[in-house]
Amino acid sequence: MSSPVAARFVGSAVHRKEDRRLLTGHGQYVADASAPRMVHAAFLRSEHAKARLNSVNIEAALSAPGVVAVYLWSDFHEKFGEAWHAMLGQELVVPPPLAIMDVRYVGDPIALVIAESRALAEDACGLIEVDYEAEQATVDYATAAADGNVVHAAWGLPSNVMVDMPFTPMSPDLDETFNSVQHVVETTIIQNRYLCVPMETRGVLASWVPGLEELDLIVSTQSVHETRNFFARYLGLDEGAVRVSARDVGGGFGQKMFVFREECAVVLATKLLGRPVKWIEDRLENLTSAGHSRNELGKVRMAISADGIIEAITVDHVADVGAYTPCPAVMDPTLLPGPYRIPRLGFSTQMVWTNTMGKAAYRGPWMFETTAREMAIDIAARQIGMDPAELRRRNLLSLAELPFTSPGGKVFQEITPLETLEQALGMLGYEEFRKEQAEAREQGRWLGVGICVYVEPTSMEQATLGTEGATIRIDSNGKVVAYLSTSSHGQSVETTMAQIIADDLGVAYDDVTVVQGDTQSTPYGPGTGGSRTAVIAGGAAHDAAVAVRDKVLAIAAHMMEAAPEDLQIAEGVIAVRGTPDRSLTMKEVATQAYTNAHTLPGDVGSGLEATIRFKPTRFPTWSNATHVCVVEIDPDTFIPRILRYIVSEDCGKMINPQVVEGQIFGGVVQGLGGVLYEDFRYDPDGNPQTTTFLDYLLPTTGETPLIEIGHIESVSTTNPGGFKGMGEGGAIGAHAAVANAVGDALAHLGVNVTSTPLGPEDIFQLVQASQKERA
Amino acid sequence: MKPSQFQHHAPERVDEVVALLAEYGDDAKVLAGGQSLIPIMALRMATYPHLVDIARVPDLSKISATPNAVRVGAMVRQSHAERDAAVATVPLLAKALPHIGHFQIRNRGTVGGSIAHADPASELPAVALALDARIEATGPGGVRFIDASEFFLSTWQTALDDGEILSAVEFPVWGAGSGFGVEEIARRKGDFALVGALAGVTLDGDRVTRACITMIGVGSTPVRCHEAEAALIAGGANADLNEIGRIAAAPLTPTHDVHASAAYRKHVSPAIVRRALTAALKEARS
Repeated sequence: MSSPVAARFVGSAVHRKEDRRLLTGHGQYVADASAPRMVHAAFLRSEHAKARLNSVNIEAALSAPGVVAVYLWSDFHEKFGEAWHAMLGQELVVPPPLAIMDVRYVGDPIALVIAESRALAEDACGLIEVDYEAEQATVDYATAAADGNVVHAAWGLPSNVMVDMPFTPMSPDLDETFNSVQHVVETTIIQNRYLCVPMETRGVLASWVPGLEELDLIVSTQSVHETRNFFARYLGLDEGAVRVSARDVGGGFGQKMFVFREECAVVLATKLLGRPVKWIEDRLENLTSAGHSRNELGKVRMAISADGIIEAITVDHVADVGAYTPCPAVMDPTLLPGPYRIPRLGFSTQMVWTNTMGKAAYRGPWMFETTAREMAIDIAARQIGMDPAELRRRNLLSLAELPFTSPGGKVFQEITPLETLEQALGMLGYEEFRKEQAEAREQGRWLGVGICVYVEPTSMEQATLGTEGATIRIDSNGKVVAYLSTSSHGQSVETTMAQIIADDLGVAYDDVTVVQGDTQSTPYGPGTGGSRTAVIAGGAAHDAAVAVRDKVLAIAAHMMEAAPEDLQIAEGVIAVRGTPDRSLTMKEVATQAYTNAHTLPGDVGSGLEATIRFKPTRFPTWSNATHVCVVEIDPDTFIPRILRYIVSEDCGKMINPQVVEGQIFGGVVQGLGGVLYEDFRYDPDGNPQTTTFLDYLLPTTGETPLIEIGHIESVSTTNPGGFKGMGEGGAIGAHAAVANAVGDALAHLGVNVTSTPLGPEDIFQLVQASQKERA
Repeated sequence: MKPSQFQHHAPERVDEVVALLAEYGDDAKVLAGGQSLIPIMALRMATYPHLVDIARVPDLSKISATPNAVRVGAMVRQSHAERDAAVATVPLLAKALPHIGHFQIRNRGTVGGSIAHADPASELPAVALALDARIEATGPGGVRFIDASEFFLSTWQTALDDGEILSAVEFPVWGAGSGFGVEEIARRKGDFALVGALAGVTLDGDRVTRACITMIGVGSTPVRCHEAEAALIAGGANADLNEIGRIAAAPLTPTHDVHASAAYRKHVSPAIVRRALTAALKEARS
């Protein structure tokens, strides 16, 4: 039977539903929300990386103008229950809302001041007297495991090691391989600490409703349902007594996947006060206290045959998780071989605590596998005297040889690593570039090209992540409302899901409204994160739309005395195939379905609504891409500048090419930012050094190159639309591509680039060291 | 990041400004464009119970030209100066202005505010120093003039007395045959310079009859490179500019911050001077 509808919107760059309100300044963020009798919160935060709290005197603060309350740990103690997330499990408990006896990072919240305005609350924070007994902090994660100075000594922990997985060979002949191959390459890759930095900082308007005994939260989050789930447990309430909503969210990037201790404190405050409490984090807090990311290192070893076949790869990996980690998402070592045909793997991994802000998820949280492998491949190519593109070409998987099971146990299907490499190199004109580079070097110009190839696991299954739900209703006017379990924070979800639904229902795109980010109206879901919306929420939207369409066809068939399979829907008109004068509008069918439903036969049913949950046919859904970056470094100033940036990507069938490219642009800018501009630094005592945008440098449009994108569409079979996730790839691929380009530009000077960041100072130091070594 | 409470004063005459500063002493601070002061207050690095806003004093927002100098009132916005015909006769000032932050910042930021703030990485103090500008200070005792060479004492420290405001700056106009160059290294467009050089030359054929070289970001004040200027005048228009750059850099003792080490700043300085001079000489010849 042919489909009753034809695809008209999926695959095209329709105008974004979000644009009118966002581009005209009418987005609704937490700071835009208010409530009667609302008061404002500010935290007093630790100035020390590690200290005992001998005393905290709040007397002066309590009598300061406009102050409503000042809370310490003792006020919250025993006022809350379980503090864990469904997605992370019960073991990973959110730290106490305020410091108890000691502080463990600069920014650790000590007191919460509630006042009539934020400014007055900050005034009162300045009046709180804290008697600190400072102790030596542990800051360097590379040495923290062996450091007897234990971050969590107060908990009785014996060391700074949170997770220690000793070296595990995934292949029995690993040692033999390293002993027998032509080339063994060993290099330690270090990725710097950089952050999500959403435009909208964290924020919550928490309202305890006395009498109803309900909690109402408007919060900047990636997951309203996880937040509701969490606070129901936290306060011992039924989930029905907790409402969480997030209208517009100004970016999350992983940071806002989970509830933070500050939000817990604000919720406890509203409950104690019986007044709405609003906390809008300022940028200083966001940079120092909202979770830090990356900051991992790995000693990579590669065994390479005489003809450039990579026979084995291993890593000894260390990740910094800070003092309290909101989400300890670090490298996935089983993904280290990436999209290569590498048959052998081994790894060890260690996660260590330090007296710094804790690790948070950030767009591709596992991505150090890509940084480590791709930077090591460039080092290896140089060492064995092979062009880095050629070394990749000889080892990359191509679509024709799939499925392929990696030594890490990953089963790759429907990906195009070699194909994207060739497309990206073709877009650049790789051979011509190498000639241009050689000529430039003779003129004293430093040009370089960097490549990064990766595979992206999307739509994973862990815990809550495997399914999404959709409720779709055609209302009595014949218009469509879709209630989705997603929590968009900038992914154009309203647009892409409406494209799918409009196609499946045969209605106009403008006739579909998407509702999300509200626990009172939408089905349960883990939120938007992990590149899952196109595949899983898209699958739910599709299935629910088809279920509603079937109801439309059944009722219309009854009304027109035709067989449902003879009907087709286009532009919101249901017609009998080949007999266009026999037709009904969607409104006419809806009127029948709701207003005269009692006249319908029992097997046709009433109403035009369906709720469906969807799970893909297998996990994960893989996507892939190749990034190629060209930089020029000024030999006088060591300033690197990106001349070209090319991405060849395969996210399967694209719902909306403009949205796909927007995701790539944003991710790439975050990745290149982490190499060239962004670097969060602590001094050796654990004092943050980059606490404002004067020192923590984000790339702006002025630093952003034109990003050229090529698409390869190998359709996925995990979901009805053929889609693949792709939201994190830009940030995964850009880091190594840019670092490798800088490395290539400096290679003729004898410099090996193995760590980031690579600002002018870093490049200056590398060049100086190399010259000193050569002299 | 909210400033503590302050009282906002909005006088309309210079003598009222001076009277308010006399009345409140150390509790008062002059507010011009606020591009440095407001962030400092929001971060609570400083607290002032009284802000004396000079935006409503018409006399402070004027630009006037005499044959040998251009007088720029303290409250003239940087974006206004960028577009002003009289300012165009002081090319070093006109070339330096676009390097200040972004246009939104220059729409608020003022010429006088930047010079009075005396940040050693800022462009306008260096312009004043390079051109031997005169700083007009107005205080309880009336008006006095301070040579730019005497004005910048250290980071954020000037020769203004308590109770005085910077009311205007007089920038000398250089004659025919002059050229100017502004060169700086910044991490991103609009950032404070890691190192910068501002240069001017007057040529008579291949003879350099006048030269100025001032560097920013390399000390606690903008630094005038007198020895390098003398070497350029001695060497003429075809002098080895790398050597002039080395002479300029030799006495520098830069500081370090998160963006660059002292060694980096010193290392790149000769090339920055060379580039600024190359641009200045090219313009002077044209």
